[in-house]
Amino acid sequence: MRSLRLIAIVLAFAAFAGAQPALTAEQKRLNLESFEFIWSTIRDQNWDPTFGGVNWTAVHDEFRPRIERATTMPETRSLMGQMLGRLGKSHFAIIPADIYGDLGSHEEAGGSATAGLDVRVLESRAIVTSVEEDSPAAAHGVHPGWEILNIDGKELAPRLEKVAELYHGMTTRELYMARTVLAKLAGEEGSLARVEFRDGSGARVSKEIERIHPQGSLAKFGYLPPSYVWIKSRKLAGDLGYVAFNLFLDPARLMPQFGDAVHSWAQCAGIVIDLRGNPGGLGIMAMGMAGWFIDKPDQKLGTMYTRQAPVKFAVNPRPPVYRGALAILVDASSASTSEVFAGGMKDLGRARIFGTRTAGAALPSAIDLLPNGDALQHALADYISEGGRTLEGVGVIPDVEVKLTREALLAGRDAVLEAAIEWIRTRK
Amino acid sequence: MHLRHRLTPAVFLAGLLCCAAHVRAEEPLPKAEEILDKFVEATGGKAAYQKVHNEKATGTFEFVGKGVKGTMVHYRAEPNKMYMRVELENIGAMENGTDGETAWTLSALQGPHIAQGEERAFALREAMLRAPLEWRKVYKNAETAGVVDVNGQACYKVVLTPNEGKPETQYYDKKSNLLVKMSMTVVSQMGEIPTDTTVSDYKEQSGLLSPRKSHHTVLGQEFEITISQIEYNIDMPKDRFDLPAEIKALATK
Repeated sequence: MRSLRLIAIVLAFAAFAGAQPALTAEQKRLNLESFEFIWSTIRDQNWDPTFGGVNWTAVHDEFRPRIERATTMPETRSLMGQMLGRLGKSHFAIIPADIYGDLGSHEEAGGSATAGLDVRVLESRAIVTSVEEDSPAAAHGVHPGWEILNIDGKELAPRLEKVAELYHGMTTRELYMARTVLAKLAGEEGSLARVEFRDGSGARVSKEIERIHPQGSLAKFGYLPPSYVWIKSRKLAGDLGYVAFNLFLDPARLMPQFGDAVHSWAQCAGIVIDLRGNPGGLGIMAMGMAGWFIDKPDQKLGTMYTRQAPVKFAVNPRPPVYRGALAILVDASSASTSEVFAGGMKDLGRARIFGTRTAGAALPSAIDLLPNGDALQHALADYISEGGRTLEGVGVIPDVEVKLTREALLAGRDAVLEAAIEWIRTRK
Repeated sequence: MHLRHRLTPAVFLAGLLCCAAHVRAEEPLPKAEEILDKFVEATGGKAAYQKVHNEKATGTFEFVGKGVKGTMVHYRAEPNKMYMRVELENIGAMENGTDGETAWTLSALQGPHIAQGEERAFALREAMLRAPLEWRKVYKNAETAGVVDVNGQACYKVVLTPNEGKPETQYYDKKSNLLVKMSMTVVSQMGEIPTDTTVSDYKEQSGLLSPRKSHHTVLGQEFEITISQIEYNIDMPKDRFDLPAEIKALATK
């Protein structure tokens, strides 16, 4: 599976592309070859041979001449993206070569430095939900609950309206809105993000925030764009464990750390796993993590249905299994593997889910190298959670719905975490 | 000798390409036993196989076109002990093995698992060191199902029905008598996954021919294994096939 960050990256690339050099004859040939590869891969490997009612042959005949006429790489990628968009499913994307490329070039091209802020769009407003400790943003006094109005001289509201309109009625709408804001905050390390906020008192304040190196360690897997992966765990008051991580990637580092944290809390009354903002990653990690909480053999989180065979997301109990209360926090930016994990644990009756509905973007996918050097992400299978429900386009519905609000954030409260802690403390 | 590579963890990412073989014109078909015996002769003969008591194979593992690579080492010892370790870049180690009784898988990704039923039977068959000689111990039936074209080679299609599990199909080159392809359903905790494997690049080592390349198709995905070295009758560490601590803990639970 793959993080939806990729889709956001591709969308951002298409949206902000400037003047581009014309394609050479060789590039055109490779683009056409790539187009045929994309089309035939989906024809042969898509789990649904009816393509959800889309006439895939007609799509080929419509787009082939347009690809032939394309004069730049961004135009070509945009057309390929439009073709994939006809399927109306998540996890189909074109990843430009300079995005997935080697670590050095990614750092230069990707502008992966952050403003040290996490953001969600709450009631159409971009609200800071967390500020990285010891970051320039924190030094500037930026506080959770502040509203972002303007980044680098551009008002956010019109852009958010466009995204909202584009994804109207879709479960991924809030995810893409948040990604849009985060993409605008990102840039080169050391550069300044000129951000205008509405602070807690309602006043407009402008800050020049130095972009900093992302948290975590750079991780790479195949042709996925390299990503910074972090995991944070701590003991909460009241004998509770808390763990959060930003991606299901870098398993060689993440899995042992996650397992060690769970084992260290063996006697705790409860554990909170915070998947808010986690866009997913390797699906197999969800199965592995579930094993630290599920004692019963022969359990599964769900089943993915490929064209060839169903594949169970089996859970292996990993003794000593933690048997205490388990709360999982999710929101609209929890996607893919996060949904597989949360949905499966909910369906198995092993965890209680707190927060808001997840992104509903949960199709297992693979990434193939294209002849023109870009990469194709394509969903390979449908996924049905153990409870019999599809997650794609639906998401995981929390057991306890708790929404973040600007007012609570300004008051320094995390209402979702508070609800989970309250449940653990009061459960019989 | 080193004909198969049990890579259950890879099933997660992989898929099947259907064999588009077709039966050629009618011709008298040899019995499956004869085809399997000829394979033994073509790869070194019964005596050569019987001299081998254990083996170690090292090589590389790659998901084709996915940018995911790794290394592998595979040990087997008579009669059916096996240990394999695959190290995938940025993923870590995935191990599986059997001491001849307990068949298991273990990885940081998925944790420990002990195979039962058909999955265990499949693992134990895969672990047989002298499978080409001793196939009758684990297969109750073998039949020649025809002559088919496999990548331009006319091959005998042999269907083997195990004592426990799903039938497996093997394809033997009519001219060389060498195995060139296998189709089977891998039984794992993740389900029953159809797979195709083609083997090639046979090389001789200590009087035995074995394929050094295998190409696997599983769930629409492809991966390749290249064996760089095979050693026979090595000084095998005594604990090589012992159950890992995590598996022991699970077994005694």
